[in-house]
Amino acid sequence: MNLQLTLAWRYLTGRVLRTTLTTFAVIFGVLVIFGMNIVLPTMMEGFKANMMAAGGVVDVTVTHVSGGAFPAEVAHKLDDIAAIRAYSASLERTINLPPDFVDGDPARPDRISAVNLVGVEPEAARSLQVYMIDEPGRFLQPDDTNAAVISQSLADAWSVRLGETISLPSVDGLTDLTIVGILPPLTRPGNEEVLVTLAQAQAMTGQPEQINTIRIALTSVDEAARAEAVAAIEAALGSDYQIGSLDPGSEMFASLKLGQAAFNMFGVLALFMGGFIIFNTFRTVVAERRRDIGMLRALGATRRTITGAILTEGLVQGVLGSVIGIVLGYLFGAFVVRLAAEPMKSFLNITMGKPVVSPALLITSFLLGVGVTLLSTLLPARSASRVTPMDALRPSVAEVEYKRRAGASFIAGLVMIGIALIGLVSGNMGLIALGGLLFLGGLILVAPALLRPIAWAFGRLLAWFYARQGIADLAQGNLTRQPGRVTVTASATLIGLAIIVALGGMTTSLTGMMDDLLHKTLGSDYLFIPPSVAVWNSDMGASPEFAERLRQVEGVEAVTSLRFASGAVNGQAVSVLALDPRTYPQVAGLDFTEGNEAEAYAALASGRSMIVNGAFLATLGAKVGDTVEMTTPNGPRPYTIVAEAVDLLNAKVVTAYISHANLAADFGRTDDVFIMLNLKPGVALEDVDAQIKAIAADYPQFTVMAGKKYIDDMMQYMNAVWAAMFFLLIFLAIPSLIAMMNTLAINVIERTREIGMVRAVGATRKQVRRLVVAEALLLAAVGTAFGLLAGLYLGYVIVSGIGTMFPMTYHFPLAGILAGIAVGLLFGALAAVVPARQAARLQVVEALRYE
Amino acid sequence: MSLIQTENLTKIYGTGETAVTALDHVNIAVNAGEFVAVMGPSGCGKSTLLHLIGGLDRPTEGNVRIEGVALAEMNDDALTKLRRQKIGFVFQFFNLIPVLTAVENAALPVTLDGVRPAEAKKRAAEWLTRFGLGDRLAARPDQLSGGQQQRVAIARALVSEPALILADEPTGNLDTRSGDEIASLLRDVTKKYGRTVVMVTHDPRIAAYADRIIFLKDGKVVDETNLERKNKDNAQVLADKMSSLSN
Repeated sequence: MNLQLTLAWRYLTGRVLRTTLTTFAVIFGVLVIFGMNIVLPTMMEGFKANMMAAGGVVDVTVTHVSGGAFPAEVAHKLDDIAAIRAYSASLERTINLPPDFVDGDPARPDRISAVNLVGVEPEAARSLQVYMIDEPGRFLQPDDTNAAVISQSLADAWSVRLGETISLPSVDGLTDLTIVGILPPLTRPGNEEVLVTLAQAQAMTGQPEQINTIRIALTSVDEAARAEAVAAIEAALGSDYQIGSLDPGSEMFASLKLGQAAFNMFGVLALFMGGFIIFNTFRTVVAERRRDIGMLRALGATRRTITGAILTEGLVQGVLGSVIGIVLGYLFGAFVVRLAAEPMKSFLNITMGKPVVSPALLITSFLLGVGVTLLSTLLPARSASRVTPMDALRPSVAEVEYKRRAGASFIAGLVMIGIALIGLVSGNMGLIALGGLLFLGGLILVAPALLRPIAWAFGRLLAWFYARQGIADLAQGNLTRQPGRVTVTASATLIGLAIIVALGGMTTSLTGMMDDLLHKTLGSDYLFIPPSVAVWNSDMGASPEFAERLRQVEGVEAVTSLRFASGAVNGQAVSVLALDPRTYPQVAGLDFTEGNEAEAYAALASGRSMIVNGAFLATLGAKVGDTVEMTTPNGPRPYTIVAEAVDLLNAKVVTAYISHANLAADFGRTDDVFIMLNLKPGVALEDVDAQIKAIAADYPQFTVMAGKKYIDDMMQYMNAVWAAMFFLLIFLAIPSLIAMMNTLAINVIERTREIGMVRAVGATRKQVRRLVVAEALLLAAVGTAFGLLAGLYLGYVIVSGIGTMFPMTYHFPLAGILAGIAVGLLFGALAAVVPARQAARLQVVEALRYE
Repeated sequence: MSLIQTENLTKIYGTGETAVTALDHVNIAVNAGEFVAVMGPSGCGKSTLLHLIGGLDRPTEGNVRIEGVALAEMNDDALTKLRRQKIGFVFQFFNLIPVLTAVENAALPVTLDGVRPAEAKKRAAEWLTRFGLGDRLAARPDQLSGGQQQRVAIARALVSEPALILADEPTGNLDTRSGDEIASLLRDVTKKYGRTVVMVTHDPRIAAYADRIIFLKDGKVVDETNLERKNKDNAQVLADKMSSLSN
């Protein structure tokens, strides 16, 4: 309605500071949700573009459920299906290349940091897709060796022409390939392809007789015919194969998704705090405008009109805040994407495109922002509609809620906290998580009753600080006369700080654990590290010969390696890492949480046994001693879980450790993806360094690093991550700053007349300013006290939650607590700046006249 | 038939020992076109009477009839509609919405009644012009003097063309000169524009502008005086009556 909009707009613009603060609360929440939901999908898109390298007219793609390779003869099962026009079996691998591998120039940024090696049967490939090769080049022929077809753009990047050679890392060291044909420049997103014969690819990747993808063209594109054909293909291949998109790197997606969920939670929390702030503001708005509202009622405004007017005001703020939040969120997202582009490229080999904004995200963010605002306005709007016309006629006196709130809600709060504590003791993960929520809710409920004693205690402190100013008493009195408002404000602070302290506890504990794990599992003298650590799928390994050559070096005591294959258990992708049970414990080690170390390694050597990590047990609901069916390229194989353990690199992903021998037998893989080396006692690094690096030069896919340096690098990197995280957390505590500023601003406006009176009877501007600052510090202290309590509890809950997957013990987060106190008090002081100035600047006469 | 008729109108605030009887079985009638003043010492129940007549508050007992319709039987929405269409209010503290301009404030009742804002403002502007505020239409309340604000409030009371104007101490917050202006304006409202005005005041000089005075004491009607026309003697007579009531 027009009048309602006019009123809303005029009231909002009439109180710029408060409107700005309240709107900012909405903006912030929407910003986080929108911004972060741009960043992560953009990363995922980049990742997908990298992975999906399909071209030509492919109707159906077949891969193994594990994402790994399978025997080449499987493809022949498709021979008799009439609906298939043609198919092409291929072996495809993304090969991550070391820095400056292609252009050889450290000064230039690498344009090519990975290529897809695609091994095809030339005839079959051409039956599926037309390859436009410029004369005098040609396509591959079945008996080619060391021949490759690449695109013009890749040839340009490599500065090679037809007939010249390029080198690619392979399991047997560098392999030279002669360019026999050149395709038009690559236009689609994703990696450049190097086409070779299937046999060539099998040799280079150390996977003889293996393929990992079958591309199929159907005779008909009709939807029904397609469904029929897919059914026929499924029937022919069995359940170990999946039809549709190829989906390697699902573990990467999983962790990105997790990140997205975490950020969404942050965003929702921020919005939640925003809701608190809006609720507070509108409650005051209604109290402040009792007279106006009563008058409108006397003039003939219905209750609905009044509710509508207040809701309209909320709506205007919600819309404004959401729109600004979305715009800022986009800028923020674009900024982060740009910032992350470089590290993403060099660490994970992901090229990120333009920020992705889906209409759904746009709508959701908008609706969330507006929805939360409206929801928070609802109660105040309803209470506004209950204002009677008589209220217009009564003289206005600032309300003082002296109600004792130690009633039902206090008891309910205590009960909730009690249940939360019982949940914690129970050790049941579900109960513990539920307990976290209960604890927070309980604290918020008991807060009003505890407010007065806490404010009193801090008030004494302040009184001592502000000796003989007579301010502390007034500040304390002012604060406690609106326990409801203060509690809501303090709750916003509480949530913000609780998160800081909780995650502080988590990071302290995690760092401790990482440090242990690093030394335990990666403590060897030398490490040979592939480009993508832990995303093993895209790493080109090395044949056992590499490790053997290293073993021959004088002064080397032991060499051990990790090998990788993709497997699946009950349809869940599993990273299968293979180790040599004899040499691995000598050089590195796993961190065991269950099972005997020596017995476990012995078991790996003797049969189909595996050691699994916590993520495996948690995801699959298995326990040590179980025998599970592992899907391998050669069919299902029973594996017995003999122990639970973890190494640093594979902690996050569902992982099983088996022996080299079993990996070779069941998965057909013998290439090493990660190698560790120990020197004999007394041998210095310098003595062998040159020799080792010379051997490694043939395998440029590995970075050679001294173990100590790697650990130092990792710790440094981790500390940087933690620092960034703390920064982010402080960022997330911003809504609590807004909440405090808002409440203080409200307090000042509401008490304009009182402040005028205090000034009239002789308070100086300075004293008035101090009064507001004192109130702010009290407010912050209350919020901080509760926040620390909740944070410690939540931190403990999170750590015990993670503890079910990682071996992790709770470290007391002293740093987090100090950060929490610092942030709390700093924000308190900051929040006071503007309102305090405003209060001090009031003209006495005007303030006294103020209604 | 009288425009206003009260039947044993009673209002008791609070319960038990703390109960205060503000109005005690009051029966009065006001005819259309009359200018009636209600007088009495503080706490005699005169404001309560006005609030009950205006449907702002509900009686404990008894009834009010406006044009024969009983207010006691109306729900909140019906009362609201009645206020909007039949009754205009003028308050001691003007009660203008601080964020709206003079013309917007005056237009409020018709705007609330669903009249298009442009039309509503046109009507409001007409009344404001009649009251000598034609050049202050766009001023906000804090830019107007007390007398001007009260004139905006009277324009607001008249804009929906109600039959009845209820004024609660309309001059209570004004200086003597502005008070006289407002009182004579209210008299114009009855004589020139044909409305009925019921005004609560404790000021004999202001009450002297009315046609009839009703005296209340302790919630009861104790006297009634018809005044032929306004003069200084009337004011003196009223003042004497008031002081006798206070004793």
